[in-house]
Amino acid sequence: MNVSTAVVLAAGEGTRLRPLTHNRPKPMLPAANRPILEYVFDALVDTVDRIVVVVGYKHDRVQGHFGPSYRGVDLTYVHQEKQLGSGHALLQARDVVDEPMVVLNGDRVIDTHIVDDVVAAFESEGDPTMSVLERPETSQYGAVTMHGDDVVELVEKPDSDEYRLINAGIYAFSPTIFEAIAATDREAGELALTETLVEVMERDRIRGVRTEGMWVDATYPWDLLAVAEEVLARGHVDGEERAEGVHVDPDAIVHDSAVLQPPVVVGPDCEVGAGAVLGPDVALGQNVTVAANATIRRSVIDADSRVEAGSTLIDAVTGQDVFLGAGSTVPGGPADVRVGREVFPDQRLGAVLADRVVAEGDASFSPGTLVGPRAHIGTGVNARGAIGEGAEVVR
Amino acid sequence: MCGIIGAVGRGDETLDTLVHGLSKLEYRGYDSAGVALTGDRIDLCKKAGEIDELREALKSRSLSGAAGIGHTRWSTHGPPTDENAHPHLDCNGEIAVVHNGIIENYQSLRDELVSAGHTFHSDTDTEVVPHLIEEGLADGLETEMAVRRAIGRIEGSYAIAAVVAGDDRIFAARHDSPLVLGVGDDAVFLASDVPAFRDFTDRVVYLEDGEFAVLSASADPQYRVTDAEGNELDKAVDTVDWDPEETGKSGYDHYMIKEINEQPRAIRQCLRGRVDELSASVDIEDLGDLSPTGVQFVACGTSYHAALHGAQLFQQAGVPAQAFLAHEYAISPPPVGDALVVGVTQSGETADTLAALREARKRGARTLAVTNVVGSTAARECDHALYIRAGPEIGVAASKTFSSQLVALNLLALGTTSSSDAREVIAALREVPSDVQAVLDSSQAEEIAREYVDADGYFFIGRRYQHPVALEGALKMKEITYKHAEGFAAGELKHGTLALVTEDTPVFAVVTGDDEAATKTVGNVKEVEARDAPVIAVTDGESDAERYADHVLEVPETHPRAAAILANVQLQLAAYHVANELGRSIDKPRNLAKSVTVE
Repeated sequence: MNVSTAVVLAAGEGTRLRPLTHNRPKPMLPAANRPILEYVFDALVDTVDRIVVVVGYKHDRVQGHFGPSYRGVDLTYVHQEKQLGSGHALLQARDVVDEPMVVLNGDRVIDTHIVDDVVAAFESEGDPTMSVLERPETSQYGAVTMHGDDVVELVEKPDSDEYRLINAGIYAFSPTIFEAIAATDREAGELALTETLVEVMERDRIRGVRTEGMWVDATYPWDLLAVAEEVLARGHVDGEERAEGVHVDPDAIVHDSAVLQPPVVVGPDCEVGAGAVLGPDVALGQNVTVAANATIRRSVIDADSRVEAGSTLIDAVTGQDVFLGAGSTVPGGPADVRVGREVFPDQRLGAVLADRVVAEGDASFSPGTLVGPRAHIGTGVNARGAIGEGAEVVR
Repeated sequence: MCGIIGAVGRGDETLDTLVHGLSKLEYRGYDSAGVALTGDRIDLCKKAGEIDELREALKSRSLSGAAGIGHTRWSTHGPPTDENAHPHLDCNGEIAVVHNGIIENYQSLRDELVSAGHTFHSDTDTEVVPHLIEEGLADGLETEMAVRRAIGRIEGSYAIAAVVAGDDRIFAARHDSPLVLGVGDDAVFLASDVPAFRDFTDRVVYLEDGEFAVLSASADPQYRVTDAEGNELDKAVDTVDWDPEETGKSGYDHYMIKEINEQPRAIRQCLRGRVDELSASVDIEDLGDLSPTGVQFVACGTSYHAALHGAQLFQQAGVPAQAFLAHEYAISPPPVGDALVVGVTQSGETADTLAALREARKRGARTLAVTNVVGSTAARECDHALYIRAGPEIGVAASKTFSSQLVALNLLALGTTSSSDAREVIAALREVPSDVQAVLDSSQAEEIAREYVDADGYFFIGRRYQHPVALEGALKMKEITYKHAEGFAAGELKHGTLALVTEDTPVFAVVTGDDEAATKTVGNVKEVEARDAPVIAVTDGESDAERYADHVLEVPETHPRAAAILANVQLQLAAYHVANELGRSIDKPRNLAKSVTVE
């Protein structure tokens, strides 16, 4: 059974990544300086000739970005109107898929060979197949127990620490999986793919494939910094490598006197002015402007953002089209970050600035500040804590 | 506009190849379609309506042949009926011809042929061609000579392809109407546009006016191109790099909304590698040292509205500039002096624009084409070409290509004139992709469209840079909703049209910035508000237009030039959603064609 189709689940918002997901779903957030979903597709294009993308939340942003094909592979979009779980998402592809398929999430950066391993195992035996990774800490994931090549137990977010393997969320199935999902009972209105797999496991076999390699996930906004670090460390970024670890797109303009400290990646159409210092661990998305003498370290600056002269950004995550006026300061973490009622102590986070935040000049951001989309920060303001969508903050 | 497809060397797949090609030409707009295959006899099938009607008709037929031609027709002579659909036959049904363009002397030829005893079945100008070929064969001419003599008799514009029973060749000729050959490994194709055969080959030979081609299923080489006198030409084989997959709908209901959503990406492509904000410079390949002392723009339809914007940009830089409707320019050209003549045409094949450019060249002007299609006639015939790089646009109503035209014209003005605010303009242009995305992310156009779907008509007003936007907003509304719409310079409203303004005619007022133009437009908004017309303000909130408006379509605040691009996106969405509410054929509006290749 040859696998030539992939189904990528990209319909969920990723609510824990708010406020960055205000205008786009989690798969469109940046891993270093490209959308996570591009990395997912990159891992697939050599293996399959068609990718079915299940879209839902803010689907225009996925369709508008990728269009009808990616690197020569056809993209077919199907819509999940309401996000009712991973099984429900996969079920939306039923009408357009009647062949064996590889199934994976669109919000995780993975290595190509993880896909290859799953597909190879499935093609040789034909049983439903799941990739399995070793992790020291399994409590945030679906934990797995294996017997030989079989998965014999699957527990979501286990309380005990006896597990050391997790479900990597990359599967290969024959089209009979759709019937199995349809026959699974909904729990609280939702249909999780893992529920179906537990049922399948009781009747038949689920093949587990041990694998390793890059597999990184962002749960909270500051995780995007760690994702960027991992991607940069592995050099999985586009652009000409001008020096070891210094990647600059051919369509970017960097002033001769700017200093790029590896690892760093500068996307297409960027302009970096005289005396700017970027890096280490800095990713500039496409069409970012960094004006003269700005300093940026360990930060992800997403597309179309503009950092004006003399600004300093450390441990910062920006959304798209963020404007930071001259002399803006994000001095960096660590800090206790408050998200809703939960407090995450001692996170290495300078600030998260969501899409289209405008900070007039000379503003500073206390460590751990979260700024909502389109908020307006006046000159000289010291911003701290959580600032809501569209808020006007004046001194 | 009409589309031609032809194929030799596809064996049993000839018919499938032709029908596939026709479906790829659908975007040009059409009202009937047909195919003819040649073997021992001519097998023909043609139908009025969509290509699906033809497919349905073909189910009960078995057409075969080593070579074949097909056609999608957009009516110029005679209504869309089965009879008027192409291909057309001679009296004996042994010669089949498809044709794009207009044969200007067809009436005299038809009279001559009728009195010689020929019987005509259609109202089309095309039908004279097979009968002329029939005459040649009856006079004992060899087939190729008979076709050449027939083509020598006709005047006007044409791309023609003909097949004859018992002969596995296709004969083709062009004059003022596009025709391109596709060269495969064992097959050769012929079409009005590359997408028709792009799935089979990426190697192409562009035919020039006056050239004649013979494609053969069995001869070696499989194609031959000659000039009007029959001298063999050594034609260059080009490679096209369009991805055939780029023409899918990407999960949208219509190509138009897909293309509207693609605009941030298209505009990035247009700017890529061409602007440098740090040094406030623009670098456009191919323009050399161009620094015009005057500019005349020629264009039609949406491209004309882009040309109006372009003329404003040059005027702003102190260079006298005007925009002309190309069809008017061609028949009554103004004194050209040493002006640069700029043709704006998405396809590069718009017959009216090509005619105006040719007229300008005849008068000694330098010419420049602003176009989306590399290798198009306009690009090849002009001294310079500036590509807008929007990617293929399939929806008949232009959307992303208009935005890209505006951006490209800004680059043209920046690159060929000197201005003190170049850095600000470049910064604003670099922000256009994200500003357009901001409009797409939060537009209220769908709700507003729903509210005013039953209106009697729509008016659009704007001043200065927003004047062309008002005209384009109205054109888009007309094209896809089939409702009356009119766009004005806002100051013109009170000079007549105000009489038509009622509570059932919503007025879209495009007001950005807070300069004199904005203040005066707000005055015009008050005029219509006083007549109870619902007002939809497209605004960045800088003026107090919102105070007099019933609804607001918001655009980000930016440079006045870039504001035109953003405001237009809101109007595209408004037209799209009204048309969608009305259930219109948005991608293929009635009577309209994508690129108008007849004058």
